[in-house]
Amino acid sequence: MGIDFQHIIELGPDILKAFGQTMYMIGVSLTIAIIIGLPLGIVLFVTDRGLFMENRFIKSTLGFVVNMVRSIPFIILLVALIPLTKLIVDSTIGPAAASVSLSVAAIPFFARIVETSLREIDKGVIEAAVAVGATPWMIIKDVLLPEAKPSIVQGVTMTIISLVAYSAMAGVVGGGGIGDLAIRFGYYRYDNAIMIVTVVILIVLVQIIQQLGDWTSKAIDKR
Amino acid sequence: MITIKDLTKEYKTKKGTVTGVDHVNLTVNEGEVFGIVGYSGAGKSSLLRCMNLLELPTSGKIEVDGLDLTKLKGEALRKARLKIGMIFQHFYLISQKTVAENIAFALRAANTPKEKMESRVLELLDMVGLSEKKDVFPAQLSGGQKQRVGIARALANNPSVLLCDEATSALDPKTTLSILRLLKKINRELNITIVLITHEMNVVKEICDRMAIMQAGRVIEEGPVYEIFSSPKAELTKEFISSVVSFDVPSAILEQVSGCIVKVMFKGSLAGEGVISDTVQQFDVRGNFLHGSIEYIQEIPLGLFLMEIQGHPDNIARALTYMEGRGAQVEVIRNGH
Repeated sequence: MGIDFQHIIELGPDILKAFGQTMYMIGVSLTIAIIIGLPLGIVLFVTDRGLFMENRFIKSTLGFVVNMVRSIPFIILLVALIPLTKLIVDSTIGPAAASVSLSVAAIPFFARIVETSLREIDKGVIEAAVAVGATPWMIIKDVLLPEAKPSIVQGVTMTIISLVAYSAMAGVVGGGGIGDLAIRFGYYRYDNAIMIVTVVILIVLVQIIQQLGDWTSKAIDKR
Repeated sequence: MITIKDLTKEYKTKKGTVTGVDHVNLTVNEGEVFGIVGYSGAGKSSLLRCMNLLELPTSGKIEVDGLDLTKLKGEALRKARLKIGMIFQHFYLISQKTVAENIAFALRAANTPKEKMESRVLELLDMVGLSEKKDVFPAQLSGGQKQRVGIARALANNPSVLLCDEATSALDPKTTLSILRLLKKINRELNITIVLITHEMNVVKEICDRMAIMQAGRVIEEGPVYEIFSSPKAELTKEFISSVVSFDVPSAILEQVSGCIVKVMFKGSLAGEGVISDTVQQFDVRGNFLHGSIEYIQEIPLGLFLMEIQGHPDNIARALTYMEGRGAQVEVIRNGH
């Protein structure tokens, strides 16, 4: 099977545009996931048993909501959130619309990752901060976040890679992006060249993200 | 300084309730170094952690510096903790922050003004002898250095009490000694009351004024360290003391000697005063040391000797009476045959 390079070059602008849309979706949803998911993850952790802001009610309520969202397959979430998407971005197609569902899926995902990262911190370090008379806010800002930072960076990497995969599904609701391109050209039109190009792009993208994530995590770790 | 009244701490586990601390009463005086000794699981750690309410007692009262901690919550408890420093076996420093930042963290808890922060950090580092490690991360420090940072952090807000949770148990003997000397210096120069828990009698011998021995959640013996070392009462106490002052003479040697075997203990300055040579000269007996040591507890000598005494039984009896008259404690282990 020969690859028709002429054909790929012709579709260059489409590929570029799709790549841009994927980046847009990932960028928006990652930002929202961090803004909401990070505090959510912290709350999930500090309200846990034996910790300095132990609160059973908050812990179990938030835990339930997070699990609920996470248990819905993304493809269903994508469709189920159409009314919400319409409310927020006043449209149900395009990258902006797809970003709503992506964010909703990414928030609990990232929150759990943050919670897990915080759990890795030696409880003794937190206890030492309590013993020193630190305020809860100080413990969060100066103990929890710095200590978990290398691990949270790894979590961000994982979230981005998951978002790359999820964003490919956004094509289903006309979200645009590389996945959409692959479905429209590669699948519906049997355009193998496009299919291969999109897959290669996704592979390269994920590799780069992972490498960057690993490198950053290592660079900031003082242990 | 610290008054503990009828303190009980119970833990709920799947198998039922476990009593960690069982109706403990204890008083730690201002300015002293108080040691709590026991095997792991004896409840000493729970007891110590109640003293800054890291663990909430099930019942009882803890007063630190006149403040009933069990009545405090939230902000009031946080403020009280500023005045109770604590150091840990595994140091528990913030690994992603430098030495100076770790100490500054404690200072910020007390709302120290920014302009005073830098100089106070330097002052504390100077006190623990780590001035040149200011901008280093904990991972680059040795165990002893990490503990010094822990001490600087604990002392940042001029506490009246310092709690030490097995502070030297993760350190080698030489480093242990240097940390103990530092603690002693802090106790003397800053007049900070120190409570430490340990399973090493050497630690107690080195720096404690008074001590308590715990077993199964209870304090089974308590008193000045010298007194406990020289006349332990409880079986467990004797066992702990034998780890420092051991008196095991091989049975083969005991079989070889035929005279009367006595254990002689000299307290205080007597240990250095030739009582034994006087005795031997005056009573026509022969003394033969089988074992002996002079331990310095809080710089006061405690001499313990295991001797074989040969001679006429009457002379031996008179010799022993004489030694007792000179203040020695004499215990006949075996009569001559």
